[in-house]
Amino acid sequence: MHPNKLGWLLLAPTMLILFLFGVVPFFYVIWVSFHQWNPFAADPSMIFNWASNYRQLVFDAQFMASLGVTLAFVFFAVLSELVIGYLLAQAFMKDFPGKAFFRTIHTLPLIMAPIIVGSIWKLMTTPSIGIIPSLLDSWFGYNLNIGQSAMAAFITTVVMDIWHWTPLVTLSLIAALVSLPADPFEQAQIDGANKRQIFWHITLPMIRPAIIATVFIRLMDAMRTVDEVLMLTGGGPGSATRYVGVHIFKEVFPRTNYGYGSAISVIVLYLTIVVCWLLYVGLIAPRNTKKG
Amino acid sequence: MSTQDDDMPLAILHTDEDHGPAPEKAGFLPIETNWFDRVFISVVIWVALSLFWFRFMEPAGLTIWISNAIALALACLIVTRG
Amino acid sequence: MKRSNPWLMVLFWVIISFLTLFPIYWLFVISVKPAVDLFSTPDIWLTKVYWQNYIDVLNDRTLRGYMMNSLIISSGNAVLCTTLGFLTCYALSRFNLPGKESIFFWTITNRMAPPAVFLLPMYLLLTQVYRVGDFALADTRIGMILVYCTFNLPFAIWTLRPTLDGIPRELDEAAYVDGASPLRVIVEVVFPLARPGLAVTLILTWVFAWNEYLLAATLTNFNARTLTTGLSEYVTTTGTEWGIMAAISVFTLIPALIVFSLVQRHIVTGLTFGAVKG
Repeated sequence: MHPNKLGWLLLAPTMLILFLFGVVPFFYVIWVSFHQWNPFAADPSMIFNWASNYRQLVFDAQFMASLGVTLAFVFFAVLSELVIGYLLAQAFMKDFPGKAFFRTIHTLPLIMAPIIVGSIWKLMTTPSIGIIPSLLDSWFGYNLNIGQSAMAAFITTVVMDIWHWTPLVTLSLIAALVSLPADPFEQAQIDGANKRQIFWHITLPMIRPAIIATVFIRLMDAMRTVDEVLMLTGGGPGSATRYVGVHIFKEVFPRTNYGYGSAISVIVLYLTIVVCWLLYVGLIAPRNTKKG
Repeated sequence: MSTQDDDMPLAILHTDEDHGPAPEKAGFLPIETNWFDRVFISVVIWVALSLFWFRFMEPAGLTIWISNAIALALACLIVTRG
Repeated sequence: MKRSNPWLMVLFWVIISFLTLFPIYWLFVISVKPAVDLFSTPDIWLTKVYWQNYIDVLNDRTLRGYMMNSLIISSGNAVLCTTLGFLTCYALSRFNLPGKESIFFWTITNRMAPPAVFLLPMYLLLTQVYRVGDFALADTRIGMILVYCTFNLPFAIWTLRPTLDGIPRELDEAAYVDGASPLRVIVEVVFPLARPGLAVTLILTWVFAWNEYLLAATLTNFNARTLTTGLSEYVTTTGTEWGIMAAISVFTLIPALIVFSLVQRHIVTGLTFGAVKG
């Protein structure tokens, strides 16, 4: 009884906006990436130059270094978050007074703007202002300086990411643990299985879907981390924390080399899509087909 | 505060693949694919191969068109037989 | 599970909560310290509170303008996205449109792309392509409101879909039988029932827009600059005004904290959004 015309009319504004600000930029960046275009160069017009930008890109040591540190960052951050998040989720499965209250506090960092998280950790770790360097100095005699030590800066960004995003992992895993049936655990205890056996053979397989989904979410977010790191270290020292997003923002965008910048953007997008797709196909899709 | 419904973000992960009438068939690829998946895989391989070629083969004097030809042949194979 | 002492767990969680809360407390400590006290040995306890940083921020005309921009852009964006998301979900749940699930999926994918990738194309489009005569979308509030739709509109659609699907079709069918126009059905029948879902969506889209930094930093110069970009302007190579920076951070944080207390239980659902949808 409703004419479908009305339905399309209701959809139209949404589709128009997402087309103009989602689809068009996507194809536009691909198109620009095949051109030489720098408005401040000798020839400021757009010149089609085949794949020269990409040819230049694969030899760009800075960009490759940035990809490398991004991978390291994503690996360490997501792995630690998963382990800590799981332990905290298990800790929430027991009964103790004030559980809801602690859970609320634990969720707090999630709503904070990444740029604010960066600014908070900058205030925490800047030598002579922050509390962490002075404590480390008086307790261990260790001189933390994220402006000079590449390793210290890298670890600080990982710690910051853990502080910011572990709650997400915890809460997702709590949801998974709460919904587990009790029978297999009781049966295993009757059969005399020890804690480690229960974890590896019962808990882990049963919450595997939730773990995979959480890792997937965190991987995608960690790969596009920009704001926090930009605020905390600005990508430095050197290129120690210049993750791809930071690289685009600090090194590519201000250069006004539009064609080459577009090529880098396209490759980052390509890598993101491929990683997500591989994860999806390798880990999530098999489960669906098995079920169906 | 901790009712069941606010803890269920992962419910979305179990959505059934009910969209699209595209026929899925079994080919040599390890997963079931429709034609869109196969075109997508071909493009992914083409880009990866081109980048690899720029980096390692072109300095050795082999033109990019060889890689394009290989990618095209692979694409034909994947789309028709995958 | 082994029975463990509940007070041991409480102690454990007090420590974890301390680790969570301390950085936020430290931000506050820095924001109420005069600049001369900053570089002495860091003090954990507050001995005296010095509000001058906050007064300076509020007296700064530029920062007041940024705050206004942030307020207008996030409010405009939240209202726009919630409205459009509501209409879209109504269309998706009530009409038999061919390929509608593909459309739904396509809207969601818009959120998954890394924003850094879109900096350059967005900048070029907004400065050079999307313009009428002398009016370009770059550095305007309306431009930012539209750009933020790329991540907030999919979010609104995604959170509102279950709400709209949950409202029984029979209700609006009955209203149509009574001869009501589609507009009246949407406004008088569906809207009141969807209000709780709409409120959550409105609040969360608002805070996402408020928190955004990267696109605001690249797409605005002066007229539409937001508070988050103002914050980064106080971090320079020549020297950072730490107190002011902390005070701006607190100002940026306050709305998020209010939102947190309002919709705490919906936050996780909101943040896991869009990552996996097949």
